[in-house]
Amino acid sequence: MTEDGKKGLGEGTTTIFVCRDSLEGILCGVYDAWMSRLGHANVALELENQGNIRMFSQYRQVEETSEKTEKVISAICRKAGQEAYEMVFRVSLSREEEKADRIYRFLVYALNCKMSAKDMLQIPAVYEVFRIDRSVGNEAHLLKEFARFSKTREGIYVCTVKPKNDVIILMAPHFADRLRGENWVIFDQGRNKAIVHRADQGWIVVYTDTDRWKERLVESGDQKEFEQLWKVFHERVAIKERTNYVCQRGHLPLRFRPYMTEFGYRLGHD
Amino acid sequence: MLIQEQMSLQEKLAVLSDAAKYDVSCTSSGVDRKGKKGMLGNAVSAGLCHSFAADGRCISLLKILFTNQCVYDCCYCVNRRSNDVVRTAFTPDEVCTLTMEFYRRNYIEGLFLSSGILISPDYTMDLIYQTLRKLREECRFNGYIHVKAIPGADPVLIEHVGLLADRMSVNLELPTAEGLRSLAPAKSRPRILAPMRQIQRGIRTQRTEVIPCERGRQFVPAGQSTQMIVGATPENDYQMIKVAEALYQNYDLKRVFYSAFVRVNDDSRLPVLPGGPPLLREHRLYQADWLLRFYGFGADELLTEKQPHFNVFLDPKCDWALRHLELFPVEINRADYHTILRVPGIGVRSAKRIMAARRGAVLDFPDLKKLGVVLKRAVYFITCGGRMMYSLKIDQDFITSQLVGNEHKRTWDITNRDSYRQISMFDDGWMSPSPGAQDVEAAVLGQL
Repeated sequence: MTEDGKKGLGEGTTTIFVCRDSLEGILCGVYDAWMSRLGHANVALELENQGNIRMFSQYRQVEETSEKTEKVISAICRKAGQEAYEMVFRVSLSREEEKADRIYRFLVYALNCKMSAKDMLQIPAVYEVFRIDRSVGNEAHLLKEFARFSKTREGIYVCTVKPKNDVIILMAPHFADRLRGENWVIFDQGRNKAIVHRADQGWIVVYTDTDRWKERLVESGDQKEFEQLWKVFHERVAIKERTNYVCQRGHLPLRFRPYMTEFGYRLGHD
Repeated sequence: MLIQEQMSLQEKLAVLSDAAKYDVSCTSSGVDRKGKKGMLGNAVSAGLCHSFAADGRCISLLKILFTNQCVYDCCYCVNRRSNDVVRTAFTPDEVCTLTMEFYRRNYIEGLFLSSGILISPDYTMDLIYQTLRKLREECRFNGYIHVKAIPGADPVLIEHVGLLADRMSVNLELPTAEGLRSLAPAKSRPRILAPMRQIQRGIRTQRTEVIPCERGRQFVPAGQSTQMIVGATPENDYQMIKVAEALYQNYDLKRVFYSAFVRVNDDSRLPVLPGGPPLLREHRLYQADWLLRFYGFGADELLTEKQPHFNVFLDPKCDWALRHLELFPVEINRADYHTILRVPGIGVRSAKRIMAARRGAVLDFPDLKKLGVVLKRAVYFITCGGRMMYSLKIDQDFITSQLVGNEHKRTWDITNRDSYRQISMFDDGWMSPSPGAQDVEAAVLGQL
């Protein structure tokens, strides 16, 4: 189960700490696993309701307290630096099932490492976290580019996305700075979660139930005009002699297109 | 020339974005600016690409002409005076509305405003200035603006526009003065270079000034760029990158863009390109451009008077490495950053990762793969711990044949877009047999 995998037969069973799929859950899991003093090779972290139950292991439910979370965060920031904490935060948003254990293995290395641990990509524990961090970061970056807002009748700008990883929280600061004077909502269709921003004030995360939200997101007159203008522009700006759909797909994967105005997305239909 | 003023906004947008599409510099990079209270927008220095058009090019800015009317008659340009096309112009208000509404919906990163020459350079530059001022001061737009400086316009106007824009560009159009004279008789090299020099001076002075400009606005904070047309005139690649290098060194340009020539006008002075626009040549020029800006190469290292064209089969970096095998192999764990950067298959990012990672350990080949090195190309040029990955001969012919094989598919994809067909068992033209008696009978009886 661990990457050194040298556990002898007689050494007892693995203790698996089961934590909630959130940053707090995972960090409390890290705290419990570490402080259990069973040895890093004998513990593992898993998310709730995921994967099969393993044989020869004990399961322990992680108890979440804000005290544990804060202790772990301050330890990471102190010993491995702010950037390492930011990495852990982004990895905790990933959709990968093994992320909790990957974070644990990374922290085991990083908190004992004298040098900047995040650069040591040749270490498997670091590389895995780097890889997940990169894919979460890339998706968040692409969605900052490809997110499309539509204006509702009430004058609220609404954007629907369906990302693989839970990245809307990474998009929020960017749009809060950019569209600070507007009321806007970014709605994650897959997770029924939304970022709601109020003009010249802050933003919050809201958990939603889909049906009522869909009803509220109705079309209004003005938006059609600009959506049509944008489609015209998008079509006209391409040079016919250079048509290259393969290149276009490489830069703008098909999975984003159902939510983009220029490829036919309309608010209220999906 | 008749200017259509009764057109709808949509018709105008269709005409004026169509007319602007041949301008290639559509980046939103070079400046980081936070949002401000009461204003719309910010700027991100890495730039954001909001969409990609059917030609695979990034759409970052609302790229439009203010008007496609023009007093010039440059023979490569679709908007030249002698062409019979629909002419129209935006009003400053229309440009502002489009920019603001598109920006709020996250369609664009800002505005790219260019224009044909209406009446005179001064008159046109002033129209652009009025538009930008309205956008910045009345609409409170804080996003990215790229604007063309029009050669021949009053320096005072250019100065004013520069304080409102993020990036300015003056198109060099053609790499040599003779080329310009033959295809764009109304334009001249000194007239193009004058505003470029002015913008460069403006940026430089500002950098040394102790007190920043009034109102806190900087002069062209994202620098200036230019573009050259590739393949319209007989200049070779060596001349093109020499010009680019000179522009980077003497005019502090941020970017030089290359635009493969598209034959939009039927004119005897223009070359006929049966294979379509010279896309592979444009690709090689961009590769070389990156080598000049980020890899510390000089134009004379890549090409020479005697060898003035890029290798069709190999990218410029591999080509250079093969001509300098005496410098290889390079030891990854000891060589300095600039040496590592010159190895084919290692880019700026992977070179930086190597420098960071080797502080903690001795790197081996599997580690390099994790750091993002393209081993397929790099293996021939590096050692890890004094050892090459395979026992290979460092022999020019051998390595060339290996690398050409790798590069072949990509080169083919660039030059032969859409020209190949998927092999199908059923509808290959040359394989279909003529219908036999049974087929005829079946067809007549409708038993298909």
